[in-house]
Amino acid sequence: MSIDWIKLLFTLLGLFIVLNYGLLQYGMIRRITARIGKRIGMPVYQPYIDLIKNYSMRSQITHGVMFYLGPVFRLAGGVGIFMFMPLIYGSYYWSNYSFSGDVILIMYFMFFGMLGMALGASEGGHPYSFIGISRGLSQFTTVEVPFTLAVIAVAVQHHSFSLTEIVAGQQGGIMHWNIMTNPFAGIAAMLAFLGMMMASPFNVVQAPQEIPIGPPTEYHGTYLGLLQTNRAILYVSESILMVNLFFGGATNWIELIVKSFLVFFWPVFVGLVFPRFRIDQSIPWFLKLPLILGIIGIFMV
Amino acid sequence: MEYLTLQNIGLVTGFLLILIGLYGALTQKNILRIIVAFTIFDAGLNLVIVALSYIKGRVAPIIDQTTGITNLSEKFVDPVPQALVLTSIVIGVGVTGVMLTFALRMFKTRQSLDINDFKETKW
Amino acid sequence: MVSPVHIVSIGLITAFLLGLGKKSQQSILVLVLLIATAAMTMISGSWLIGIMTGSVQPTDVFTAGFKPPFAINLRMTMDEAVLTTMVNLFGFLTVIYLFDVLKNAGKHLLSIIVVFLIGLNVIVMTRDLFNLFVFLEITSIATAGLMIMIQDSKSISAGFKFLIASSVISGILLIGIIFAYSYIGNLNIDFMSNLSLIKGGSVAVFLVLSAIILESKQFPANGWALDMYESAHPAIGSALSAVSAPAVLFVIYKLMPIVPESWHSLIGLFGLITFTFSNFLATRQGNIRRMLGYSSIAQGGLMLTVVSMSTFFGNSFWFIILGFLLTNFFAKAGLFWLNGMVNSDDQNKWGVLRKRPVLFFLFGAFVVAIAGLPPFPTFFAKWEMIMQLANGNGWGWIVLILLGSIFEISFLFKWFGRVFHAEEEKINDIRTPWFKQVPVLLFGAALLATSYYFVEYLNFDVLFVMLPLLIVTVFFAIDFLPAFVKNLLLIASLTIYGYLIYPEIDGNVMQLVFMGVFLVGGILTLIPGFTQKGTRAGFYPFAAMTIFGLIMLVNPADNLTFFMGWEQMALGSYILILRGKKAERPAQQYMLFSAGGAYLMLAAFGLLLHFAGDTFFGHLNGMLPGGGVVFVLFALAFMLKAAAIGLHIWLPGAYSEAEDDATPLVSGVLINSGVLGLFWIATAFGPQQLFGYDIYQIMGWVGAITAIGGNMLAIYEEDMKRLIAYSSVGAMGYIIFALSMNSKLGLLIALYYMVLHFIYKTMLFMSAAGVIYRTKTRNMYEMGGLIKSMPWSFIVVLIGIITLAGMPPLAGFAGKWMFYNAVVMKGWYLQGTMVFFSGIVAFLYLYKLIASVFLGQLKDNHRKLKEAPFVYLLPQFIFVIAIMVLSVFPQVLLEPLATIIPDRIPGEALHWDGKLAMTSFGYWNAFSVMSVVIVMFAVIFGWLVYHSRKAQKVKQFNIVFAAERPFRPETTHVSYNMFAGYKKALGWLMTPLATRFWTGVSDWSMAIADKMRSWYTGNGQTYAMHLLLYAFVLYLLISGGKIL
Repeated sequence: MSIDWIKLLFTLLGLFIVLNYGLLQYGMIRRITARIGKRIGMPVYQPYIDLIKNYSMRSQITHGVMFYLGPVFRLAGGVGIFMFMPLIYGSYYWSNYSFSGDVILIMYFMFFGMLGMALGASEGGHPYSFIGISRGLSQFTTVEVPFTLAVIAVAVQHHSFSLTEIVAGQQGGIMHWNIMTNPFAGIAAMLAFLGMMMASPFNVVQAPQEIPIGPPTEYHGTYLGLLQTNRAILYVSESILMVNLFFGGATNWIELIVKSFLVFFWPVFVGLVFPRFRIDQSIPWFLKLPLILGIIGIFMV
Repeated sequence: MEYLTLQNIGLVTGFLLILIGLYGALTQKNILRIIVAFTIFDAGLNLVIVALSYIKGRVAPIIDQTTGITNLSEKFVDPVPQALVLTSIVIGVGVTGVMLTFALRMFKTRQSLDINDFKETKW
Repeated sequence: MVSPVHIVSIGLITAFLLGLGKKSQQSILVLVLLIATAAMTMISGSWLIGIMTGSVQPTDVFTAGFKPPFAINLRMTMDEAVLTTMVNLFGFLTVIYLFDVLKNAGKHLLSIIVVFLIGLNVIVMTRDLFNLFVFLEITSIATAGLMIMIQDSKSISAGFKFLIASSVISGILLIGIIFAYSYIGNLNIDFMSNLSLIKGGSVAVFLVLSAIILESKQFPANGWALDMYESAHPAIGSALSAVSAPAVLFVIYKLMPIVPESWHSLIGLFGLITFTFSNFLATRQGNIRRMLGYSSIAQGGLMLTVVSMSTFFGNSFWFIILGFLLTNFFAKAGLFWLNGMVNSDDQNKWGVLRKRPVLFFLFGAFVVAIAGLPPFPTFFAKWEMIMQLANGNGWGWIVLILLGSIFEISFLFKWFGRVFHAEEEKINDIRTPWFKQVPVLLFGAALLATSYYFVEYLNFDVLFVMLPLLIVTVFFAIDFLPAFVKNLLLIASLTIYGYLIYPEIDGNVMQLVFMGVFLVGGILTLIPGFTQKGTRAGFYPFAAMTIFGLIMLVNPADNLTFFMGWEQMALGSYILILRGKKAERPAQQYMLFSAGGAYLMLAAFGLLLHFAGDTFFGHLNGMLPGGGVVFVLFALAFMLKAAAIGLHIWLPGAYSEAEDDATPLVSGVLINSGVLGLFWIATAFGPQQLFGYDIYQIMGWVGAITAIGGNMLAIYEEDMKRLIAYSSVGAMGYIIFALSMNSKLGLLIALYYMVLHFIYKTMLFMSAAGVIYRTKTRNMYEMGGLIKSMPWSFIVVLIGIITLAGMPPLAGFAGKWMFYNAVVMKGWYLQGTMVFFSGIVAFLYLYKLIASVFLGQLKDNHRKLKEAPFVYLLPQFIFVIAIMVLSVFPQVLLEPLATIIPDRIPGEALHWDGKLAMTSFGYWNAFSVMSVVIVMFAVIFGWLVYHSRKAQKVKQFNIVFAAERPFRPETTHVSYNMFAGYKKALGWLMTPLATRFWTGVSDWSMAIADKMRSWYTGNGQTYAMHLLLYAFVLYLLISGGKIL
């Protein structure tokens, strides 16, 4: 098997862009959030500072091998989703490694980082980590249900699980977007997206007031740096997934960034308005309206 | 009147005795009475056997001067039931004897002859 | 050849001789009795051998010099030879068995025994009705005499009840005989064939017949007999069951030619009712002898059915009746004799039997034989009987037999389990003098020999049936060897067997796959057994039985072989489960559900014979029109083994309570037998309808609900093994769902997942076994932080759960990916989403499993634990390697598996383009995914290593804990009720409906049985009334309310 080095280069470049975009986006969102809360907020470049600081921290401790590997799993999960995601429609080089698998691969790759992180954090032995993880996993089970229904609906509609095919099917104007052609599935997926982003009202996992940041409690320094890197990449990648699935994909970087920013803004927006659910409220919530919408969506096809 | 033959009288009496015996055996509470009821039952049975084989105008199957030695099958009643009834009587006596033995033993264990006192094995 | 009449004459002479003896010569008298019974045995035995070899012709003995009907004649044919030999041999052994009793008893008892035997001999041989009556009476009197061998109030009153009953019966019989005589003019059965044609003659036939039927203790007019069984000396109970009952049944057999044809099936039905209900009532018996009594009566009922329908069964009659007769003869006698040795009717006291391994083994063999499991004759007889009934459309009959059989299994194995687990009584040691052991040993040997002849007669395949049976037998024989020797031998024999069998199945991928799973699984799961010390008595024979039973399933030439393998596997695994410390109840549940499944399957085989003739169910090749019922029965049977929801309640207990290192075998390996069966019916039958519903549709829902249910139940388990066990339920739901999609891809998923589940579940259970081996607990909240001491086990569990979760890049993802494609192609979105949901739910318990045990806070008492033993790790890592290979090259497995699926199955197949798997919907390249992940992972890992090169390990409690130090690991380790929030949110899904349902079934049946058995009031008069009522009802049913 020959390796296409140019493609690899492009992919790494894409990764670099997405990382920067993610960091800036995060900074910007924080700032917007602060403004809504009538605060000034941190500078937009603050995530860069954090990242550099964490990577250059000297004092480092570890609780064991799995603790060590946790962030690696997490970041590998995030990067993996990016790697298997086609970015720009019609571009060979910007399709990354999407030839390895379709949307199912991406969906299941999300678990990879999650589980690795869960295990790593658990080895730290902090009770808050356990609580955070148990909440996260619990909530995740029901979040995925409407999302899966939506993905299946889209796949059936386009007769393909391939993201490239799905994007191809949505070309030709806003009316061809899946959010328009199958609004129920689209809305179900968008509601599920709220849970996937773990923003308020579904931020029980890191729940700052109860279990200070939950799973990553024990992580610091480079570990935390890896986690922050992952957050930047993962959130953007998931937004791109939504863009590809429901918003017609993108034919160039500008379109991609605009669309994904808007998509990403949706959970932020909701999070600013709604307070946090308790875990036993958030779990069934996804089995109510989003599930029903998902089922309708699937039978709309 | 033609039904009132000796055979029919025997049969009816026999079955009556059987029923009386059974009734007694099923209703009496005293073990000895039950045994007596069974002897009545046996007697009825035996009477039925005899009555069934009775043929009017014939004699017991014993050869003597009065019967001669010719045409015996027309003069005698059937000899087999006679033998059967004898055997049956003997068996009846045997069973009654065994039952009485049991009655004795039961009385020894419980000082009682009421059949309701012997129900420890059930269900 | 000595004339058979001398059996009687020897007996009579002996009886007189005994009367002459003096009290002081009791030992000599016993010897005389022994010689006499031996002589009687030899006469009848020589006739048996003579007639069998053909050197002697069957004969009639004419007494008094006249030919019948003018004199009584005794007949000696094959039938009589068998029965008299049984009677006399039994008499001989009884004399030996009762040696101590007879030596101290009066000489009358000796005479009574002789008279009893004479009576039975004549009952068997005579062709004269009145002679029959006389000897029935003589036997009754002798029986009554034997009853008071024990002189307690119970047996005396039981004897009196018997006398009342037999008086009533003999009255009925005598009236019948005398009427028959007055109509026909003679008393010989052979000259009465047209009796029922004469007006009124059928009343005579009815009276004679009903008297004998009553004498054969049919339900419910059999209270007197039960009381006798309960109170008589075990040796006498044994005689009643083993020889009296068969003799009386033989009389019915003799009478059948004069009984009108139209009555036969009704009598058979009455017998069957006895079988079912007696077994039903026996389930509530605690008293051993009474329970055996119920069981004897039940067997008698079954034999009555066979006897009365002898013309219906035709050529199979002998096979069936001998199967029941001989098994009941040897096994019931043996059990009664054992009862005499244990000398208690309390099941708990039977634990002492375990001190005598040979007797204990025979006890097990007797129980299993009566229960009708292979390789004992009842098993084959029952099979043949069901097949014949199915041929004659006797569905109701089959239902009754199977119901009765399941009740039978229920009480027999409850008993067996109790004996297996009862506390050994230290004080009351079991007394087993040689003369008590010899008869039991002989009968045990005879039972095994009979089984051998039955198996031999059926001409099974040498390589697939006989060799496995032989190996299993050998392992019984060498059970005294040390455990590691046997372990080695079993592994070696499995390996050699694999070598032998490979050329046979080479080219048949289906067989290769399943054989591989069973053989390799068997071998690998045995390896941890090397840690066992001592002999581990009783493990290896049953492990061998289980594995070889599974192997028999793979290449059955016919349905019987399959069924036999199935039952054998069930029996073997039952014992393996029962060996666990607290496994008595779970094992009992397992046995009941197994048996339930097996009997459903038996019914299905019957139906199949009716629909499709004598074809193996796996070779039906497509459509079986109207076979919906067959399909459903099969599916239920296999889904029971695969633990579909509602039928799953046996599984967690059985799997978790089995011995830790046996669990992988009984779970990971054995559960695939259900998949094998399901796969076979799915491919062989084609789509089926039941009441207009598509069965696959229903099965799909069942599978989806099972998947969710199993996984949901798993997340709340605190017990490590139960958690994994519930996870098996979930996995089976997934497989059932995949199978019922009935598409090429669906079946491929099922097969692939079967193999994968086998690998990871065996791995997980073994790893759990290793952890439990070290920690001595199964509760996960008592563990924690074990990664430090058991890193290899951790790696195995990690790989296992990643595979189970279906995460890329490991092999589990292939299953998930194909699953989506199949679901979308099939259009089962809702069910598919449910299964998908269950897959994510699985994350919860997987996380709990690995985090509670290996991560988090290490407990103080676990600080010095070592890694699991090497022999535990070795097979696990073989499995890990397998997973790794499959993860990179799934086509290695998927391509051959795809060839198994027949072309007629609809749907699109999986395409391969090099390493790229494709369907019309999606694509996936395992190699490429794996490469990307490895490179990515390595880069990030390197980056981290570079940055944290100075990282140092800190102590356990060095965590951010609100500036405090955690008090102790227990309070800091979050594990117990980890998913409390989830329970609060979705706990209502866990309402234990299935458990409630089955508990209800059990409670209700117990209540009904209790109510029903109060019919037996213990009052002799009531019993006499029952007799009359029974005869009356029988009359009404036979005559249809008219005068006959």
